[in-house]
Amino acid sequence: MPDEPDHLLLRRYHAARQEGRDDEAARVWERLAENNFDRIKQICSAFRYTGGTGLPATETGSAATEAYLRVVAMGRSFREREVGQFRAAVYRTVHNACLDYGRKELRHQRRAGGSLDERYEPDGDAGPYDAALARYEAERRTDVREALEDEARRRRAEGLARWGIAQVRNDNYRAVLELTHLEKLDAAAIADRLGISLDNVYQRRRRGLTELEKILRAPRS
Amino acid sequence: MPPDPDRILSDFIDAWNAGRRPDADDYVGRADEPDRAPLASDIVAFLAFAPTPEYDDAALEAIRAEPAVLAGAAATRAPGGLWPSLLPQLRRRASLSTGQLAAALVGALGLSPDREAKTRDYLERLEAGELEPRGLAGRLLDGLARLLEVPRTVLDGAGGFGTAPAPALFRAEGPRAEELRDDLDVLADALAAPAGGDWDEVDELFRGGDR
Repeated sequence: MPDEPDHLLLRRYHAARQEGRDDEAARVWERLAENNFDRIKQICSAFRYTGGTGLPATETGSAATEAYLRVVAMGRSFREREVGQFRAAVYRTVHNACLDYGRKELRHQRRAGGSLDERYEPDGDAGPYDAALARYEAERRTDVREALEDEARRRRAEGLARWGIAQVRNDNYRAVLELTHLEKLDAAAIADRLGISLDNVYQRRRRGLTELEKILRAPRS
Repeated sequence: MPPDPDRILSDFIDAWNAGRRPDADDYVGRADEPDRAPLASDIVAFLAFAPTPEYDDAALEAIRAEPAVLAGAAATRAPGGLWPSLLPQLRRRASLSTGQLAAALVGALGLSPDREAKTRDYLERLEAGELEPRGLAGRLLDGLARLLEVPRTVLDGAGGFGTAPAPALFRAEGPRAEELRDDLDVLADALAAPAGGDWDEVDELFRGGDR
């Protein structure tokens, strides 16, 4: 079966759920989870606690397995309809799985004066991107026409990231982020397109990502 | 000349977008020690909202062969849902054997100590996929969530998509069909009702349902 993009799978998942075709919804969700397996696994690999330590190398695989199974479990009742919301939920689930995995190890660190911060309520839905999601949703609802146009729906598929990138104030960073996230150009192609050096692309990508991260994690205003 | 972390991040991004399945550990390891933690954070920041790559057939095949993905796929089709994969995983993380988890559950739920063996037997059946997840009581899920340090919502989702039993097929129509439907409902209720005799609180927790 050909690789289907996430936004189409998410749409098919909701259509199947709505029409009571649970078996089909389960199969579609499985595909969506597969598409995101590497994201889950690599977030676990790169995950760092406050203080900079990651999961022990021997635990990363198990943490990724648990995180993946949690994402599969999420499919039983997932309500959000946009890919950006799905990715925020995946991130939150993986992050919490990593924290849970390292909990035992970190207990003695906490006793020793460190802290296990960033833990969201175990049963809560709060996550680091919630405020950005709320602001994004509020802005999106103001444009009713957008919801009626299919082309707009397609463009909205990457909505949250696109919205966040549009908030980046520095024109240079924003241009590099757009070409990276939305057009998936590599560094050489971006350098060529913008007429800048590769070193400039590297620097703007990193700084742009830092700014995007700040925007998406900013508290509700 | 020390490796430039900005370039390493950029190389990771290019490999990701091209569907080459880069390994974050490998890229983080290329940086000097003091740069590794910030680089790892930058990679996570990218991955949180990175576009999903268009994987080729070989990459997709490799992803589908990953043990976690195979377990997730099996759970989609199995009547036991995710429990056979998830419960052993959670037990290992909590460093609990099935027997230890049973003992802890008995204590946490205030059951009589002589119910421990029966509880362990049920946990083993749950891991073997022999129990219908819809039968698990809310109190049991709360207890498991607490002991295994996992959100209750994860355990709720482990039951799968609630595949209903195949509906009965009959050919009667009109009033006769309604009569027959009523009879079948009574029969179904009788079959689903707890058996008398040995049915106890542990059976209620694992098979009584009512979350």
